[in-house]
Amino acid sequence: MTALTGTNAAPRRSFRLGTLEMNEVGLLVILALLYVGFGSTTNGFISANNQLSILRDGASIAIAAWAVTLIIIAGEIDVSVGPMVAFTSVCLAFLLQGHVPVLLAIVAALAIGGALGTIAGILRAYFGMPSFVATLGLWSALRGLAFFSTNALPVTFPDNDFLDSLADEWLGIPASAVIMLVLFAVFTFISRKTAYGRSVFAIGGNASAAELCGIPVARIRVLLFTTSGAMAALAGVLLTARLGSGNAGTASGLEFDVIAAVVIGGTSLSGGRGSMLGTLLGVFVITLIGNGLVLRGINPFFQEVVRGVIIVVAVLANTLVTRVREARRGLR
Amino acid sequence: MSRSSTAVIDRVAPVATVHGATKRYPGVLALDNVAFSIAPGEVRALLGKNGAGKSTLIRLLTGATEPDDGEVLIGGRALTGSGPQRTIEAGRLGVRAVYQELSLIPSMSIAENLFLGHWPSRGGVLAHGEMDRRSRETLGGLGLDLDPSRKVETLSPAERQLVEIARVLVGEPKIVILDEPTSSLAAAEVELLFKAVRKLAAAGIAVIYVSHRMAEIRQIAASATVMRDGKVAGTVEVAGAATSEIVRMMLGHDAQEEHLVETALGGAVVLEVAGLVSRPKVAGVDFVLRRGEVLGFAGLLGVGRTELLRGIAGLAPVQAGTVTMNGRDVTALPYARRVREGLGFTPESRKEDGILPLLGVDENIVAADFSKVTAFGVISAPRKTAMARGIIERMGIKTARTGTPIGTLSGGNQQKAVIGRWIYADATILLLDEPTRGVDVEAKLQIYGIIRDLAASGRSVIFVSSELEELPNVCDRVLVLKEGRFVAEFLAPDIRTEGLMAACL
Repeated sequence: MTALTGTNAAPRRSFRLGTLEMNEVGLLVILALLYVGFGSTTNGFISANNQLSILRDGASIAIAAWAVTLIIIAGEIDVSVGPMVAFTSVCLAFLLQGHVPVLLAIVAALAIGGALGTIAGILRAYFGMPSFVATLGLWSALRGLAFFSTNALPVTFPDNDFLDSLADEWLGIPASAVIMLVLFAVFTFISRKTAYGRSVFAIGGNASAAELCGIPVARIRVLLFTTSGAMAALAGVLLTARLGSGNAGTASGLEFDVIAAVVIGGTSLSGGRGSMLGTLLGVFVITLIGNGLVLRGINPFFQEVVRGVIIVVAVLANTLVTRVREARRGLR
Repeated sequence: MSRSSTAVIDRVAPVATVHGATKRYPGVLALDNVAFSIAPGEVRALLGKNGAGKSTLIRLLTGATEPDDGEVLIGGRALTGSGPQRTIEAGRLGVRAVYQELSLIPSMSIAENLFLGHWPSRGGVLAHGEMDRRSRETLGGLGLDLDPSRKVETLSPAERQLVEIARVLVGEPKIVILDEPTSSLAAAEVELLFKAVRKLAAAGIAVIYVSHRMAEIRQIAASATVMRDGKVAGTVEVAGAATSEIVRMMLGHDAQEEHLVETALGGAVVLEVAGLVSRPKVAGVDFVLRRGEVLGFAGLLGVGRTELLRGIAGLAPVQAGTVTMNGRDVTALPYARRVREGLGFTPESRKEDGILPLLGVDENIVAADFSKVTAFGVISAPRKTAMARGIIERMGIKTARTGTPIGTLSGGNQQKAVIGRWIYADATILLLDEPTRGVDVEAKLQIYGIIRDLAASGRSVIFVSSELEELPNVCDRVLVLKEGRFVAEFLAPDIRTEGLMAACL
């Protein structure tokens, strides 16, 4: 009666290095093309220094993007990332200005980010407000609050060794990149191996079926936004360390880089599908394009155009590849 | 009034005629040399079990399907088109159908809905005045006093159904098909619908009324066509036909039942429901479910079986009554807590509410209780696979791997996994809403076997099905729901399809 075809059952699922998803292969190809293209035409693109700079730039997008990937997999969206980073950076700077111990100040900044995210989550989960609207409210309010409380001036604070070390390199790698990679491992693990992570996939794939399974859908939705707020705050802490001050205008438009990276990475905006590895590759695509165009000295306004086109083309290529694959597999 | 409906048809030119129509689908003969005709102003009931060929006959009339043999004439003209062209042709000749799923746009006004997609306009600007005037005429023609500018979302279900009917009157209908029009209505609202149907008939429009509620059919239809196994079993005058006669026509004489159940068993009471009210469909329900028992709920479409199950499960608001599980009053507990107390529920719409389509079979099973395969929230892959494999083997789920996305499996295998999920979660009380809907015959038999096994292992099952023939196969006891209450009880081995159907109608 059982039709488990025993032999090939176990090994394919476990850990796939040799079996990357089709879109992930596609992204690797795109990355390779970008490296070849910029490497052969742009001086200094391949240099070690520039590679570190790419890592550092990628880190602030990526740290926020891990949590946003989970949110999008759950069929939600968070557009508040940029202002959240700016606001928590201002908060941290004020706390340090007031001589709060640095660790305490960082924890407080993370808590503030988490709490603000929780508000959006509660609005979504318990009041049925679309997450786009809830986070759009935060987007506007937080940026405004950051400017209002600082009069649009940088908030300076006394020099601080711990914060400096966060802006520094650890073993030759930017600290922010190390943190990003550690979090990548953590989020990959969460999304693949924990009940929480799999519940997120279940909710994104079919929320009402997840509910009928007894999965606490509302609680998980809140937690997703809490995490996203806290991760944006962490990006804010790292940015504050790098800039040496709190800036209300920082991270402008970061939310779009984050969402673009997640979507380029193959995570479906309709939920249920996506991976951290895809997002990681998506982050690098976005960062490489930005970095390469700057090095080439392209007009900054035109850079935006190129970026827009490349994002759309990457996602289109991804969609087409997925469609071909599903047609071949006989899925609808 | 003539003695039989065929006599009516002889005298007046029929508005629609089907001659010798045969339609084959892969593996099924859906229609077998069917003849059908209906006269202007006639209200004809159309009856038959699931799969008897009613829907195919309707699809022939609306042009949604072409017959393999035979022809369809509307107003004396044969339908000749194919594909979407045929539907348009039938529509132009005056065929209109109102289906069970309402297709109105709630956020738009009645008038806008009536003319959906064909809004009267002048120079590209909507002519609201004309639209309102014509809407008022159409609504008035049905005896409806509704303001056309009201939004559909403010209407009651009955009013929505009537607006849906009003919509088919825009244009010049000759024949209107109503598919189970009262299934979403409360009893009091049915009279409104009848009034509208009588107006249609008085205006010379032929009405085909698909329903199984004999009480309603007797009020509204003069004649009834009964279908069975793709054939017309007969057309009778409703006034002269006993319900038992119609039941016999629907079931045929050779209805053979394979009884899996020998005697009604009964252990300790595990679930007790008292005075349960869940408006508008459930009006006071009492019953007990015993350990090791399979209890069937029978009733017509829309009678409130699903609403009752959802009330018991804690998924629908309950206005009165108590639900007691294993001696504990759970009336105030939400669904998720009842699940932890040993409840399992499989919904009737497997695809929309049952499966997690993108996840593997294994995860679809363990999602019902992650704690059995996790330590500190981390899933143990070997334990997950082992647990899932156990269920896959026990339920006979055909899948290439334990991790195959469940969306790629057949309906029957999906359903087995959805039931298996609760076995994995050690649920002792299972509420199965239409577990055999949309699965093939072999899978049905397997699901019956699974349900009996569950009962034998001491679990208790409530089995809801609109296919009455199934109930004698699996149930120890069957309760018949009608107008919000249980009106009859049957005990194995004395559960007969005919008796059940007579009690339902």
